[in-house]
Amino acid sequence: MVLGTEDATPVTFWFAVSPGASVQMDDLVAVRTQKPGGQPVHFYGIVDHVRTRHEGVTFDSDVADVVAGLLPASVSYAARVLVTRVDPEDFIPPQPGDEVRHARGDDLRLALSADKMDYAFAGGLLADGQVLPVNYQFVNGESGGHINISGISGVATKTSYALFLLHSIFRGGVLGRRNEGHNTRALIFNVKGEDLLFLDKPNARVGQKEEGVQERKGWQGGRYDRLGLPVEPFRDVQFLAPPKAGQGDVIVPDVEQRGEGVTPFVFSLREFCQKRMLPYVFSDAGSSLNLGFVIGNMEEKLARLAAGDDAPYLTVEDWQPDTEVLLSEDVRFDEMGKTRIQTFGQLIAYLEYKLLEQNDGEGDPKWVLKQNQGTLRAFIRRLRGVQKHLSPLVRGDLTPQQAAKYRPDILRSGVQTSVVDIHKLGAHAQSFVVGVLLRDLFEHKERYGRQDTVFVVLDELNKYAPREGDSPIKDVLLDIAERGRSLGIILIGAQQTASEVERRIVSNAAIRVVGRLDLAEAERPEYRFLPQSFRARAGILQPGTMLVSQPDVPNPVLVNYPFPAWATRRDEVAGGVTVQETEDTGKDWLGL
Amino acid sequence: MRSMRIRLDPWPVDIEGGQLGLQRFEGELIDLETPRWAAIPARPIPARLGTVHVVDGKRRMESRVFIEDDQGEAGMGGFGAFVVGAVDLCPHGTRPARLTDVKAQRLLAHVPGLRVDPYRLSPRDPHTGRLEYHPVPADSADPLAPLHKLQQTMLAAEQQLSHGLATPVPFDETDPREALTSLTLQDGTLRSQNLGGAVVGCVKTMQTLYLPEDRAPLLAQLRPGERTPILHMKYANGTYTRFIWYVRLCEAAFYQHPMSGVMRLEMYAPDEPDFLPPIVREVANISGNLLCRLASKAHKDPRAPQNLIPTAALESAMTRAMGSAELVTRRLRAHIARELGVVA
Repeated sequence: MVLGTEDATPVTFWFAVSPGASVQMDDLVAVRTQKPGGQPVHFYGIVDHVRTRHEGVTFDSDVADVVAGLLPASVSYAARVLVTRVDPEDFIPPQPGDEVRHARGDDLRLALSADKMDYAFAGGLLADGQVLPVNYQFVNGESGGHINISGISGVATKTSYALFLLHSIFRGGVLGRRNEGHNTRALIFNVKGEDLLFLDKPNARVGQKEEGVQERKGWQGGRYDRLGLPVEPFRDVQFLAPPKAGQGDVIVPDVEQRGEGVTPFVFSLREFCQKRMLPYVFSDAGSSLNLGFVIGNMEEKLARLAAGDDAPYLTVEDWQPDTEVLLSEDVRFDEMGKTRIQTFGQLIAYLEYKLLEQNDGEGDPKWVLKQNQGTLRAFIRRLRGVQKHLSPLVRGDLTPQQAAKYRPDILRSGVQTSVVDIHKLGAHAQSFVVGVLLRDLFEHKERYGRQDTVFVVLDELNKYAPREGDSPIKDVLLDIAERGRSLGIILIGAQQTASEVERRIVSNAAIRVVGRLDLAEAERPEYRFLPQSFRARAGILQPGTMLVSQPDVPNPVLVNYPFPAWATRRDEVAGGVTVQETEDTGKDWLGL
Repeated sequence: MRSMRIRLDPWPVDIEGGQLGLQRFEGELIDLETPRWAAIPARPIPARLGTVHVVDGKRRMESRVFIEDDQGEAGMGGFGAFVVGAVDLCPHGTRPARLTDVKAQRLLAHVPGLRVDPYRLSPRDPHTGRLEYHPVPADSADPLAPLHKLQQTMLAAEQQLSHGLATPVPFDETDPREALTSLTLQDGTLRSQNLGGAVVGCVKTMQTLYLPEDRAPLLAQLRPGERTPILHMKYANGTYTRFIWYVRLCEAAFYQHPMSGVMRLEMYAPDEPDFLPPIVREVANISGNLLCRLASKAHKDPRAPQNLIPTAALESAMTRAMGSAELVTRRLRAHIARELGVVA
């Protein structure tokens, strides 16, 4: 019953729990009150605070007398409710004495505004084992888009939850109902370990883990059953990884745990120029206006240089590098007298020559464009700095067939999920890959429109789109955050601290999720969407538990989600690695 | 020559009367248990005594009224409320103590000779409940008579409750012995003729010192839990007879009168002091242990230790059961305003 000793308002009220009943935090409840005219008003809400105390005693030490059976006292068990919905929207307060019930079935649907959702997918399980519906139209960009997940690394399991959401979207039937199953895709950047390289393998431990949970909770069905999801790994996955450093015809993915099934990806030197990837090499272009000008200028020059041919390498007439390049057998006659630029290092050397060495150190005036030497040197210096990281990725020493084969194609037909492993790359190269791939995707979608939704999963947003400073990657991410939803690019971004991510990216996310937070972080304004009691709790959330806030429900809801059905480490792969696979690996690497 | 000595009465000054009045007793007192006047140690509480009820009552005059009936008769009266209740506890602490029968009743006491209808105050808000005052004629037209009527009604209800809860006591040798399984502690003295039942009156305040001067010093010497022998007492006017004994509940503080912390207990006795029912002796034997266990602490209750823990809890529950006096008076006023057609 609604308490009369505490204020009951249309947004929050306390209720007394009857003896024998039990209420825990995050339970959903329903109250019916009556207006003086007799019309009913229903309140639905979530329990955000529960407490018990001895009633009618004055001293703390009275508890001993109560327990000794001397002092009669009753235990008052009360809970506070944050109202999530009032139906109809008559914002009168509930009356003290109104009966409070657990929300189940239709009440639960109303409490979570599921009746307003045309298309919903499972966002996890509530504390009492019921399914939290998440409005797909607030995810895919129709009414809103983007998901943002915050939480401490390791215990907040941000990536796991992002993957669970993808699994739920892909396999939970929402796409089938919308007839979009065949062309909705996901692009996942793997930034930590090789965790995500086994998404297509069943997890050996999931059965045992889930049975344990089921037993503990005393449920009929397991969590996957309740969610209506299959216990299966991801399907139609391609794994992309940068190649190992070093030259040569054999391009081998730079991964350790997984042998087969990982495709190396490279960009040809010509693509680098044609597709204007140069700005993505610089993370601090905005720090100086002049540097930005030089970058733009060089980007243009390289694009022109690369135009008109499709060989993976570039050829230039006006430059003879110091080192002798042995003429290879496949030299073409139209290249006689020209120099072939085959590596990223050579490209830098060529730029250095054009900017700083030609004309006795004056540079080519058309390239220099009267920029002062300091700026040009800074430009070259930065390029040299990233040379080591980018050399394996941007290559001219490939055959055109290789270039085509290893070009990353996220929208390849038959592939639903692409995992791009960038964890081994240096920070610059990571940004470069993320920026280039996202820009590609963005431009593709700008041309072809929004009919295919692409989910982009990117952890460590604070690195790619920091609140302070500019970078081309940040621009792409901002574009995605602000315009992507109308183009069908949905960012599932995650970060440890939302306070360090560009505000416009976080604020554009329709669905916000919080795992375990540092308590100081939880008090920052970025988390104001959490009521105070939830902010305090964010500090004690366990792995596998998240607070989910969505536009249809004014208060966040605590959910847990099942153990991944896909392997997240090599030793979790069911069945282990067979000899056959090892052989396949060898073939794969050798390009046989 | 003795020098002057001052020591404090244990109870705070705002409690009327103080704890130690010590007037001389004029009635008759007979040694019944033993002629040897010495402290008797407490005995353990037997396992078969499973229930102790602590009973108390409380009353409140809510408003004095002036009544004119439909015959044109007029007179004084009063809206009063009273409540009696009990705490049911196990002296061995095997189960939680609980409040029973704490329910307020309301009456409209009035001078005799008036025709008064029950007075119902319907609730303004459906959640606040209804107040109903039953008319009761007082014994006289005295202005204080309604208050006395209220008091009488309460005491009668209290007595009914306490006796209904207790084990019957055999009072002569032909009675088959009954084991003491349930005991009732009634707050204050036993007020009527013997009604039977193992009911102990707990008198917190010593207004009269029943013991002669040569015996009184034992009260100061009792140690916590110890009691005096049982005496048979007959009041001076001869109306009532009682078994009485004294028990000490705690050591007196050095600044207090040495008799502080001593409580007088009484049980019903037959007129002729020729038989001490075994059950009375048994109650006396365990009373030290029982009451020391129930005794409250000075920082929690100004009338500690005599105001027992359950009694204090019962008192506050009873106050709550009567409702806020302020709200009740306001509702009375609003109701009368409505009846008189005044827009409130």
